[in-house]
Amino acid sequence: MTRQKMYFRMISASLVRRRSRMVVALLAVMIGAAILSGLLTIYIDVPRQMGAQFRSYGANMILTPVLDSLSKDDISECTSMIPESDVVGVAPYRYDTVRINERPVMAAGTDMEGAKKTSPFWAVDGSWPGKEGEIMVGKKIAELYRFKLGDELTAVYTSEAEGNDEELVDNEMTFVITGFLDTGGNEEEYVFMSVSDLSSLTGIDEVYDVCELSVSANEEKLNGYADAINEAGTAAKARLVKRVTQSETAVLGKLQALVLLVTVIVLALTMICVATTMTAVVTERRKEIGLRKALGASDNSIITEFMGEGVLLGAIGGIAGAILGFLFAQAVSVSVFNSSISFRFLLLPLTMIVSVLVTAVSGLLPIKSATAVDPALVLKGE
Amino acid sequence: MSLLELKDVSKIYGNLHALDKVNVQVNKGEWLAIMGPSGSGKSTMMNIIGCLDKPTSGEVWLDGVDISKENNKSLTKLRRDKIGLIFQQFHLVSYLTAVENVMMSQYYHSMPDEKEAMEALDRVGLADRARHLPSQLSGGEQQRVCVARALINYPEIILADEPTGNLDEANEEIVVELFRRLHADGTTLVVVTHDPEVAEVAQRTIVLRNGHVDHEHVNENFTGHIKYNEEAV
Repeated sequence: MTRQKMYFRMISASLVRRRSRMVVALLAVMIGAAILSGLLTIYIDVPRQMGAQFRSYGANMILTPVLDSLSKDDISECTSMIPESDVVGVAPYRYDTVRINERPVMAAGTDMEGAKKTSPFWAVDGSWPGKEGEIMVGKKIAELYRFKLGDELTAVYTSEAEGNDEELVDNEMTFVITGFLDTGGNEEEYVFMSVSDLSSLTGIDEVYDVCELSVSANEEKLNGYADAINEAGTAAKARLVKRVTQSETAVLGKLQALVLLVTVIVLALTMICVATTMTAVVTERRKEIGLRKALGASDNSIITEFMGEGVLLGAIGGIAGAILGFLFAQAVSVSVFNSSISFRFLLLPLTMIVSVLVTAVSGLLPIKSATAVDPALVLKGE
Repeated sequence: MSLLELKDVSKIYGNLHALDKVNVQVNKGEWLAIMGPSGSGKSTMMNIIGCLDKPTSGEVWLDGVDISKENNKSLTKLRRDKIGLIFQQFHLVSYLTAVENVMMSQYYHSMPDEKEAMEALDRVGLADRARHLPSQLSGGEQQRVCVARALINYPEIILADEPTGNLDEANEEIVVELFRRLHADGTTLVVVTHDPEVAEVAQRTIVLRNGHVDHEHVNENFTGHIKYNEEAV
């Protein structure tokens, strides 16, 4: 048998056959590693989680036409420059003035599914228009006309007659009211219908005045996307909604700093806890250290053996802790952010290495002091 | 030929002279018993001979080396290479099996060899208990593992400090028979004991009192390995 084999046989026997004692030390390492890996997972995942949360504050990028209007293809060209996974919602809008009960009202034609994603904070009493002939009315308009859900309203659009600029023609369409919109903003003075309905009413092809985008990215990435769109020479000009993106960046930065601070504090506490446990483990084995010295073990040999145990303990505790930490982060993510997170395999070796280092460093001092024992005294039981 | 020689060795703790100008000589292959009441300096002498302590003054020659002048690192090496220790409290590593405890001694000395460790356990009659932990062994069996551990590296001298102090009569007899066998094989033995029965089987006995060699006598009836009883082990 080689010395290395005997070395591993001794340190593994110490961990396995003294498991009732080592379980305390293992728990200390494991809990430390679990909190560390959990917090790191949250730290890494916070931008994604919070990014998704921030998207509830509305669009953070606006596309406006360089010339008169944007086509569906123009918008597709622009959005194709942003990774699909980052695009939360795309809501193109076309605005035209229509008359309802002889009063001018701003009508917005949009893709309702896209609008739901870019403006998730909109409160709708009733439901969003789901098919042609349905309309959603802003709260103020509804109050003005005392509309009720299910009522019909007629929208009139006045356009120039074909071939005769002088003559005006009224186009009429009747809609069923499916919902009232409450946003606290100007949208309450608008009516919302599908783009195809607005095109039918106005007789103008499906073109857009503006497109709102909700993109899950930090300010730097957003700027990058906007620059790419602007530099590509598309029919649209991209700009960021500064108010949203800057506050997102500021809050994210503070939150990450907070999680990092907590991680560092927990790491320090873990080191103290592991060091205390290792001191206890080493102290109770003073007699064994004395025996080994009496049998001719050098100080370095004893340090190597105890460090080996510490490293093995750190590795086992680190791996178990990393898995527990992921479960902890998952539970936090589900309860706080209402979404799950994926396991980051890089955290497994990282947590293991940190645990090994913490265990080894915190064990070094008590082990070094234990090698100073006088074997004659400890073997006599003094 | 002298293997071990203490020349005017003193060990002083404050005002206490644990050993006071002691002169002792042990020849190669000799079996020496050290007796004396508590506080007579037996353990201090054992610690000094065992390279676990250094004298305040005097010289201690072990196999041609004055160990009183050596530093701790050299003393560790001397312990490893030349001395086999047997303790009253056995002192086995609790989480290692009997054979692993023996191999641990090999590990610090040179190279662990499980076959050789098993043979050593077989010599003390414990081959069938080799895979047992110390807690699964009786006191006598544990002490026999200690004997196997002490002899595994073929030391120049085996030092036993009250080796039968914690054993019943039957196990005491087994350990004494093992010493007879070791001595018959040419091993030098120094045994500290309170027990006159254990002392009287040695070749020579010195009696310490108040840090001095009070008297010494040679056992005229020493029979050595002739009394060796194969069945007892």
